[in-house]
Amino acid sequence: MAARRILKAVLVDLSGTLHVEDTAIPGAQEALRRLREAPVALRFVTNTTKECKQTLLERLHQLNFDIQEDEIFTSLTAARNLLEQKNVRPMLLVDDSALRDFEGVATHSPNALVIGLAPQHFNYETMNEAFRLALDGAPIIAIHKARYYKKKDGLALGPGPFVTALEYATDTRATVVGKPEKTFFLEALRSTGCSPAEAVMIGDDCRDDVGGAQNAGMLGILVKTGKYRAGDEGKIDPAPYVVCDSFPQAVDHILKNLL
Amino acid sequence: MASWANNVRAVLLDVSGVLYDSGGSGGGSAIQGSVDAVNRIRQAGLKLRFCTNESQATRSHFAQKLQRFGFSISKEEVTAPGPAATRLMKEQGLRPHLLVHDDLLPEFESIETSDPNCVLIGDAAENFSYQNVNRAFQVLINLQKPVLISLGKGRYYKETDGLKLDVGAYMKALEYACDIKAEVVGKPSPNFFLSALEEMGAKPEEAVMIGDDIVNDIGGAQSCGIRAVLVRTGKYRPSDEKHPEVTADGYVDNLAHAVDILLASRASNQ
Repeated sequence: MAARRILKAVLVDLSGTLHVEDTAIPGAQEALRRLREAPVALRFVTNTTKECKQTLLERLHQLNFDIQEDEIFTSLTAARNLLEQKNVRPMLLVDDSALRDFEGVATHSPNALVIGLAPQHFNYETMNEAFRLALDGAPIIAIHKARYYKKKDGLALGPGPFVTALEYATDTRATVVGKPEKTFFLEALRSTGCSPAEAVMIGDDCRDDVGGAQNAGMLGILVKTGKYRAGDEGKIDPAPYVVCDSFPQAVDHILKNLL
Repeated sequence: MASWANNVRAVLLDVSGVLYDSGGSGGGSAIQGSVDAVNRIRQAGLKLRFCTNESQATRSHFAQKLQRFGFSISKEEVTAPGPAATRLMKEQGLRPHLLVHDDLLPEFESIETSDPNCVLIGDAAENFSYQNVNRAFQVLINLQKPVLISLGKGRYYKETDGLKLDVGAYMKALEYACDIKAEVVGKPSPNFFLSALEEMGAKPEEAVMIGDDIVNDIGGAQSCGIRAVLVRTGKYRPSDEKHPEVTADGYVDNLAHAVDILLASRASNQ
């Protein structure tokens, strides 16, 4: 298939690929150990607007995954990197539990907006404050633009509609930083020094993980765990590079065919 | 002589930003010369109608507020999106879930609201909490065919203590969340202008619209064949005179200036 490639980096999605809530995918820890023996850089990438790296890491350690904090790259990390690149001070409309990933970022007299899933901030007064900032030219950085998400008691609005409201009112476009954005994958790779052509992404979300990575020039491996539903592989064009039952099979494939 | 003023028999006036600036403890203040300008329109025998997208209060409260500022205005002369929405919902058998300002609720007393099969959104201001917007979303997403009716689609407006998000921003939020298009009543919907004309018995070519919103007032009126003049008061910004899609038939400093030109044109025709 792609034997010409020299694989140097593997990106791995977390939720749905290594674990589902507090249960590890069977054999995933052992498969990760095998992958670590190969000469590849590893990055663990996830879209999250609520959980800081520390929280993610604690859960992974409880499940006996051998993962270091500096190997984790989230949509919050991507937002922080973008703030630093633009050298701006954000008004942070994010959940309190995500604030830790923005420690040390100056937020006085803000000239940028970061929006995650933060229902407690989506009231009229705070939205007006955010709107006036954006109308004065503050860039809007959206962690993601999900329309809604599922809660125990039904569907609830995600950050997307509120980002859209501000975009319409100010006649501007937000920069979205999470998966499936191309820049997300490129930023996640940056610290490995590898190019997209030298990387593969493993994930359970056909559009956001596999489609996004392939669009950034990587190979994409779809696993049939987590949110995978039969037929998902048909949802993107080009199709996933390969489809595997779960993370251990994906590792087997890499060790056998890509190294 | 400005051609927009020729043979005008009927005047449609936007209210906020043309007659008065809203906000503050007294609810706002009259724009200089506007009280007198309205009186001069009446004295000249021109037909007159007030066309507003404001949806924070019923028409009678709205008229009372303007009377306090000194304007000669009655509830019957106000064309507002609330009554237009009520007509539409009755015609189509719609029972709304209401996401509106508390002061607008009496406008919908005559309409059934149990077991809602649509959402009606207005400028709800403080009522635009996450919980309330989410509740409207849940009603929509659980309908087989979600229907969203919006009282106007303005982006923002100016109050004395700053700019505020208008209903359009929240309409867009719900459109995006449910992947639907709202039905807009009020400006710039052609039905809104046409019903205002019908209510005063005037034809589009006899009328002129005067407003401060280049898209909703000027563009909206022009799409119905009504001439339209932009005032440099209210939310006006100089860039409005170079708008990529809409060119007004005239630009004036304020309502008093517009009326000066209108009356001079009538005098020269007599």
